Amino acid sequence: MRKKRHLLKVDGLQLRFGGLQVLDDLSLTVDEGQIVGLIGPNGAGKTSCFNCLTGIYQPQDGRVLFDGTDVSRLPTHRRARLGMGRTWQNLGVIDSLTVTENVMLAQHQRTGYSALAGMLGLAGTWLRERELRRDAAEIIDYFGLEDIADERCGSLPYGKRKTCDMAMALATDPKMLLLDEPASGLSPEEALGLVETLRELRDRLKLTILMIEHHVPLVAEVCDYVYVLNFGKLLTEGEPDEIQRHPEVIAAYLGGAAAEPEVNETDEADDTTQVLRASQSPGEPPEWPLQPAAEGGAHGAA
Amino acid sequence: MATATLVLTRIRVGNGLWTVLRIVLVLAALALVAYPLIFGGDVWAQRISRGAIYAIIGLSINTLTGHAGQISLGHQAFVGIGAFAAAFMASRLGAPLGFGLGAAALVGAITAAIVGMVALRVSGLYLALVTLAFGMTAETTIFNWREFTGGGAGASAPRPAIVESDFSYALLCLGVLALVLYADWRMVATKTGRALAAVRNNEQIAATLGVNVTGYKLAAFCFSGLAAGLAGGLFAHWNQVVQALDFEFQVALVWVLMTVVGGLRSRLGVIIASAFFALLPLTLPNFLASLPWQPPFLNEAVYHVLPPFIVVVLLLIVLRFFPGGLGQLLAPLTRRTAHKNGDRG
Amino acid sequence: MGAFIALGLFQGAVYGLLAVGIVLVYKAKRVFNFAQGEFGSVAAFSAFYLVVALGLPYWVGVVGGLVAAVGTGLIVERVIVRPLESASRTIMLVALVGVALFTIAITVLIAEPIPRVMPPLIGGSGVNILGAGILPQQLILLAVLAVLAAAMAWFFKTDLGLAVLASSQDIRAAQVVGISPVAISRLVWGMAALLGGVAGLLYAPVGIFTPGFMTLTMLVPAFAAAVLGGMTSLPGAFVGGISIGIVQNLGIYLLGQQLAVPGAAELGVFALLMLVLLIRPQGLLGKEA
Repeated sequence: MRKKRHLLKVDGLQLRFGGLQVLDDLSLTVDEGQIVGLIGPNGAGKTSCFNCLTGIYQPQDGRVLFDGTDVSRLPTHRRARLGMGRTWQNLGVIDSLTVTENVMLAQHQRTGYSALAGMLGLAGTWLRERELRRDAAEIIDYFGLEDIADERCGSLPYGKRKTCDMAMALATDPKMLLLDEPASGLSPEEALGLVETLRELRDRLKLTILMIEHHVPLVAEVCDYVYVLNFGKLLTEGEPDEIQRHPEVIAAYLGGAAAEPEVNETDEADDTTQVLRASQSPGEPPEWPLQPAAEGGAHGAA
Repeated sequence: MATATLVLTRIRVGNGLWTVLRIVLVLAALALVAYPLIFGGDVWAQRISRGAIYAIIGLSINTLTGHAGQISLGHQAFVGIGAFAAAFMASRLGAPLGFGLGAAALVGAITAAIVGMVALRVSGLYLALVTLAFGMTAETTIFNWREFTGGGAGASAPRPAIVESDFSYALLCLGVLALVLYADWRMVATKTGRALAAVRNNEQIAATLGVNVTGYKLAAFCFSGLAAGLAGGLFAHWNQVVQALDFEFQVALVWVLMTVVGGLRSRLGVIIASAFFALLPLTLPNFLASLPWQPPFLNEAVYHVLPPFIVVVLLLIVLRFFPGGLGQLLAPLTRRTAHKNGDRG
Repeated sequence: MGAFIALGLFQGAVYGLLAVGIVLVYKAKRVFNFAQGEFGSVAAFSAFYLVVALGLPYWVGVVGGLVAAVGTGLIVERVIVRPLESASRTIMLVALVGVALFTIAITVLIAEPIPRVMPPLIGGSGVNILGAGILPQQLILLAVLAVLAAAMAWFFKTDLGLAVLASSQDIRAAQVVGISPVAISRLVWGMAALLGGVAGLLYAPVGIFTPGFMTLTMLVPAFAAAVLGGMTSLPGAFVGGISIGIVQNLGIYLLGQQLAVPGAAELGVFALLMLVLLIRPQGLLGKEA
């Protein structure tokens, strides 16, 4: 797995809010073309980590290298322009804009004209606007949102807005996508579609993906590599199979009450995920019948 | 397939109909302005100039508060500084009108940019307070600075020969309004409008989409100040004399209310409300004098207070019953634009 | 210069008194109350009408003025504040600015914009403090400010005050204690109006007063005082008010008299406000956010 070059390298992040240590010496690496998962119990600092990567929080210490450049001191919008696309746990859509406008908003950095030229209404800006609208329509089609392209995001159901958020992240023309719980709140069918989408993004668009996800089945299914965070520290890292077997991970999820899982053959992974699912808060999305369907479907897609 | 074609045709027909309707609407509005302008003589020409100037001010506040989500309770300072700059250019330096208006716009934009830098650190209610205090300070300090403004007597701002008559001056004001309107329209329809919508709703999301939040906030202040300064310059030559008295800080408060009555982010609503409020003090005395029954308490001071009074009553009604302002009432007519630009109608 | 400091001290007492009301509303409702000054105007005009025009005893005027102020506060709460409870804070602020302008316009319509003189609570000649003539009325003002600031600080330590504070964080929290949010809203606005009324009644006799006298010249310094004090601190409002008064008068002395800068008082207040917001946004006595 580790033969490609690093796209994202995080070195010794330290983030404190007052006396609270949110991230403690966090280091991780994401290689080009990988789908990497970032998991951990609630409050482990996963979203804070994303906020440090995108520059919304300024960590007290540590470096973020993205695509070979040190972006630690760059403001958020400059990092976005280098190719960091992001989705949000509580959605990054602007409710007062339509789906199309949201996607066009996400195309901000590649509009190709200056704000002033737009205000003066120069001829080129009219043409570019038309092209942008066409590009946006393409992205919207890709995500199957064409029926609601002119609806305000605020009036749409959660799942559609979530998809719109993903479409926006893609529309920023990123090299890397940071997805914050892409499956939360999705219906089982939508979540199943997500697996396909993520693989397609990686394989066809050559995107690198770092995702926070509570859903261990999804992580196990789609991720090439997983980092586990607990209390702001890196608990362990490894390939999904190892992680699921890792006693400390199970302990972290269950608050230390877990017994060593039996090392069994194929059923083992299922057992663990079953345990992990049970430990999730009641607010989490409904059970996700990925396993039965995935056995055939997932391998077919890979 | 068949249904898709059907839907598409319907949309196309709808679009065509809308275009026709909107052209008719614009023509009707132009006729509404042209009729009194041509047949109303100097009195109406003056009123139309004033209406256009106020409409520019309304659009200026709309840019800042409606689009960028930044409140300004000191807008009269930008307008006043523009007015005094124009008067200074015209009477002291004898510069041509174009330079005067350019200077007014520039000074307005610079002042607003300075206030905007404060707004980067201070937000929301505190910004309201800061701008209010700024407006008051400008009123008592800058506008009473004798060398610049001529002190209490005011500065004179004579009109050059080409726009000497009230009719031609009204055309100038309408022309500038049209320019500001065009810039505002293109601003909202292009990336700036979308970026400002994002900044207004959630700065973090805006930034992760590559929007330079700081830059766009400052740009909104600059454009708003530019339009306000321009309006001030036009006002100076409209009145031909500028006094600190014209730019008391209460004026700014009334302007903000007027814009909210018009409906934030509704171009048409803001223009109508602004023009209405501009004409109120000019037409109200005549209107009241023409009533068959004279209320007993009418006097000069009351005329001074009635317009803001009416605006406040309108504001309270608007906020209670249709928070989208006049724009919300007009929405059936302008839905497509409102749909594109508004927040919740 | 000493005289200016003394003048500022007593001028600042009025700002402090208004600031206490502003802080009360902000603490309980997270709203900037731009109508606070007008509660004072209403009280002053009502009292003037009762005492001077109708010739009733002074205490009737005081009681009548306070009742009028509290009544105004409750009407504002019912007609403006409660319906806009869910609107954005900016819209609420615009509406309260509207209330202030509305009240000024009403006062002008009913009472005509002529200057009036209200007899003081206690007559007698002024005392000399640091070379400035200070009226007995102003001494009362300072004392009342101290008492009210302390009383409000104490209020927020009582069960009721804590319920009010809790409701500012979470409406349900207050309901658990058994007090309806509506009752709390009424209580807060009634108290704020009462404080404003006291400020108006005590300040009107210090000079001449005209419609809008509390809002047009007093409100911004009062807000500056509240911000300087930390926006949620009642002792802060007291200290802030007096500091603003002194800064303002020093501004008049140093800039206005020595350098002939126009509007020195406003400039002083503005500069101090900016300084506080940019360097120490949590104010002198506010807690770290």
